[in-house]
Amino acid sequence: MPLAIVLDVSLSMSRVVSTPEEEEEYQRKHLAIHGINVLLDHLNTHSKLEFVSLVVFSSMYEILSSFTRDYDAVRAKLQNIEDRDKTYLEAALHGVSILINDEWGQNTPCHVLLITDGSSSLNILGLSRTLLNGQRGSTRPEEALPFLPFNFPAKFHVIAITSPDDPSLAVSMPVYQKIIDLSGAEGSVFVPEGGLSLKSVQNMFTKIAELHYSSFEGTLRSGSLSDSILLYPPPRVSDAENMEVIHCKISKDITICGFVDLIDVASPPAVSRHLVLPVHSANKSDASLVELKAEGEGEDDLLATPEEGKNPSFCVLLHGALKVENMGAICNVGEKWYGLLYSWADSKKKSNLMLSIFEPGTKCIPWLGDLSLLGSFSEATSPGSFTTFPIKPNEKRSYAQSCVVWVQPGNLQADIQKILRHARKMPDKTQHFYKELNRLKRAALSMGFADLLETMAVILDRECTLLPHTAHPDCAMQLTHASAQLRLSRDVRHNITALRTKFTPDD
Amino acid sequence: KTVFVIDHGPIMARPSDSPIELDVFNKPRGHGPGAFIPVTPVCKSLWTCAAEASFEYCRIVWDIYPTGRLIRFMICDTKVNPVGSWGTNQQNLTSITYHFAQLGVPIPDVRHGDSNIMHGLTAALEALTECSDAQLEKLKSPENKSKVHNRGRVICISSFREDGYIRNLESFFQETVIQINQRNFAPTHMPIHHCDFVVVNIYPNPPTLALKEHLRLDLSPLLSCEVISACASRMLASRLVSLVLQHYELASTTVTGIPMKEEQNASSSANYDVEIFHPVAAHADILKLKVNESALFIMKEGYGYKTVTLKWCTPRATSNSVEMWPCSSAYRISPVDVTSRPSSCLTNFLLGGRSVMLELPRSGTGGRTTSHMLAAHGGEIFLHSLLIGRSVIEDPPSISEGSGGRVTDYRIPDFGELMKENKLVPYLFTEPAGPTTPVERASNRMERWTQYWPMTISSTIVFNMGVHMESLTKLIVNEELTDDQVIECKKVIYNLLAIESRNEPLPPTCSGHRDRGAKGNRREEQYRILFKECEIMLRHHCRSEQHRRVLACLLECRSK
Repeated sequence: MPLAIVLDVSLSMSRVVSTPEEEEEYQRKHLAIHGINVLLDHLNTHSKLEFVSLVVFSSMYEILSSFTRDYDAVRAKLQNIEDRDKTYLEAALHGVSILINDEWGQNTPCHVLLITDGSSSLNILGLSRTLLNGQRGSTRPEEALPFLPFNFPAKFHVIAITSPDDPSLAVSMPVYQKIIDLSGAEGSVFVPEGGLSLKSVQNMFTKIAELHYSSFEGTLRSGSLSDSILLYPPPRVSDAENMEVIHCKISKDITICGFVDLIDVASPPAVSRHLVLPVHSANKSDASLVELKAEGEGEDDLLATPEEGKNPSFCVLLHGALKVENMGAICNVGEKWYGLLYSWADSKKKSNLMLSIFEPGTKCIPWLGDLSLLGSFSEATSPGSFTTFPIKPNEKRSYAQSCVVWVQPGNLQADIQKILRHARKMPDKTQHFYKELNRLKRAALSMGFADLLETMAVILDRECTLLPHTAHPDCAMQLTHASAQLRLSRDVRHNITALRTKFTPDD
Repeated sequence: KTVFVIDHGPIMARPSDSPIELDVFNKPRGHGPGAFIPVTPVCKSLWTCAAEASFEYCRIVWDIYPTGRLIRFMICDTKVNPVGSWGTNQQNLTSITYHFAQLGVPIPDVRHGDSNIMHGLTAALEALTECSDAQLEKLKSPENKSKVHNRGRVICISSFREDGYIRNLESFFQETVIQINQRNFAPTHMPIHHCDFVVVNIYPNPPTLALKEHLRLDLSPLLSCEVISACASRMLASRLVSLVLQHYELASTTVTGIPMKEEQNASSSANYDVEIFHPVAAHADILKLKVNESALFIMKEGYGYKTVTLKWCTPRATSNSVEMWPCSSAYRISPVDVTSRPSSCLTNFLLGGRSVMLELPRSGTGGRTTSHMLAAHGGEIFLHSLLIGRSVIEDPPSISEGSGGRVTDYRIPDFGELMKENKLVPYLFTEPAGPTTPVERASNRMERWTQYWPMTISSTIVFNMGVHMESLTKLIVNEELTDDQVIECKKVIYNLLAIESRNEPLPPTCSGHRDRGAKGNRREEQYRILFKECEIMLRHHCRSEQHRRVLACLLECRSK
């Protein structure tokens, strides 16, 4: 998830750390910057696509770098940080909240990392009074910190660059903890273990990085074709709620089951979407090629390991073919859990292999049916043993059939008008006339709307008398017949059929 | 599970006294005075109103939840007539309306005696104790047994004379639930864990007397109760629609600005609105938006619910390519006014295979946000919620910049062929169920097909041989080989030997092989590699005796 680094640049951060074992003198600020660089290094190797931003604060905040993947730019900003006045946590929270709202809105989970010095400054003391002691007359927490809780899903960690035995932590720790609690985010306070030094700060940042920015490494496989892959963003453990809660963890092995046309899967609902990034590993190369070479006699000198990017990758092959054929690959991502691999392009030029992970279970997409019943088209034993996409439901929905709703009087009037329109155009429209008439009759009977049938008969009779001279003679005969039938028949199973007249075309 | 208990007694035969004029469109035509006989307006009876309103209720529920939401009816006159059952084949309007038609019109004759609602309620509760198919299925596994809940709802529609009678009904209902639950249940029956009792009073227009309504109250842990009083015809239907939203957690969206040709004048078009219902979860993302965008939710006049207005975006006619939208969920919908012209235009447009993007109304900043998509799949219309806001996977580096991205001779057309050969189709249940599911079999097939599959043109000779090798590479991936197929494979091998002995050049594509190099592009060398590769492929596919025979044949030929 995008990371917002919020760094305290108050004067207290430039206090010198006295460490007996180290020669050079460091300011807390330097330790913090060192830590951030450790974190960026980790991201660079494990999670290159993560967005990082940098906000500094004192009594005011300043966004030094908005969210970017250019870690070097962030590093460059770190080099030129000025010292400002005093710590004021409210400014920090204000700044980060605005930044995240502007860039990501309220739906993207973000990670907020607040780096400060853990000293019991006036600001901390003040917050301690407001938040913890709840003194009468003082401002309430929601007034002091209007940006909490965060209006976006978040992880929130506070890092205090101070020695764990610093007495001021006794005051500041509870304040940090309270702020985390108020933020509604999951998180904790970190303090370097075993005294303040370059090493301990480095260890702390490494720990945080490993905890939160470990990448998902897996294998995409089909037969002998396989590729080590990274999924970005790393999939989270998902909870599916379906009468009972099932905890699902995505398998490390993603196997391809077969292929479908993208037009058939349409845009399926997915719990998450991940970029599938092939990972280059030096010892792995085209398995079949290696075998062939190994059998070759002393040609090893030709077998120089190809440089990165030149080594064929299954992901690239798969992506290319999926893109050309406009198809997707259904793959198994766990026990009774499936996903779809397809080519996806953010812009027209840069396309990528994307994995959409469906809801766990086999019946997650109604129009694909039960996913475990998907079988190979070429292996089907008989043409009757399978159907085609999309799966059609047994019954048509109300909007797909001619359904009668007379809640609004207008609907009933329109239906009657329709019958009369057909009536005037008989004998061409005889079939339509009786179809509509029977529909009306059926509906009226099922609703116990007896008056309507009588009235309809009256209307048909009147229509008969109103017929213009130009009307076809069959018209009058059919109308009289229909009106008589309407008065007679009260059985829903009985359909009124057209009167056979001399005008009826012989069939 | 819901049971409707509808009064079918004499009182329901009363007219609703809200006449419907049927002559509105008929203008007297020029036949001289007196030719036009006015038609007396018709009037729905209370029964008709109750029936049509409950049909609407069912229509919406079954449109959105085709399975899993069960409804049946108990029609009471002097006796109780059950309509429908929990069986899934009974859960559709066609079957319900058919049964209603069989029942006919309530008999207006008071001498027949009042209908007995109490019996109807008892029958309804008994029906609730019957397990549905889904419940029976769940009960089969012992660990689930305690988890299966039996919750239900009884909706009682009648015309009542006084408040006291409704009080009586409530207390009678409560006692009956307790009584029924004390029984010993057969394995196909279950006690009722919770029941929601909705009393709907309907009265003709103008109201004769006003009964007190009350909102949902919990009478006991087992029972909650609600009383509603509505004027027959339109009011009743709209109240039931509000109820359906509340009972099934549905929400309303109004698609606004749908351009539609005028009925009379086809050349001009006007904009229309269509309102649809769908599960409230489809709004999850926009509910999280800033609270001050409450302008999005507009209270619908005369109805007790709010509707979200989303703007129709005319789809681009040119976009033929399949776009994969970042869709997080898809829910079925039901149009509110299903027979209206705008509604049917929209649904027919969607059923025809087009999809429509829906946009949030522009906010102050003027940005467009596409939040939903309407599309039909297999004759059902779904509202897809799309992810809104910036995505963390935006603007990724192209796959060609990553590992393996600079290789240019991937066998992409060949892999495309493989994909077509391994296309998936939905199997029917009737297929004799083996020990493996179809998808597992498909997976195994993929495994075989890619057992030996060089990814680039330059790393293979076998797959560049075209017709010379084709029958072998196609057959060898089979699970099993017949004798004829083995002979077919052997023929390929003999043929290769023959062309080698004639010293024919290999297809030009083979010359790009990486093993070229110091030893030059010698023909013998190429043939040597070809047979070596062929052997490797056959060794990969040694899954049966017949496959082994093919390999043995090759080895034998080579050893000569």
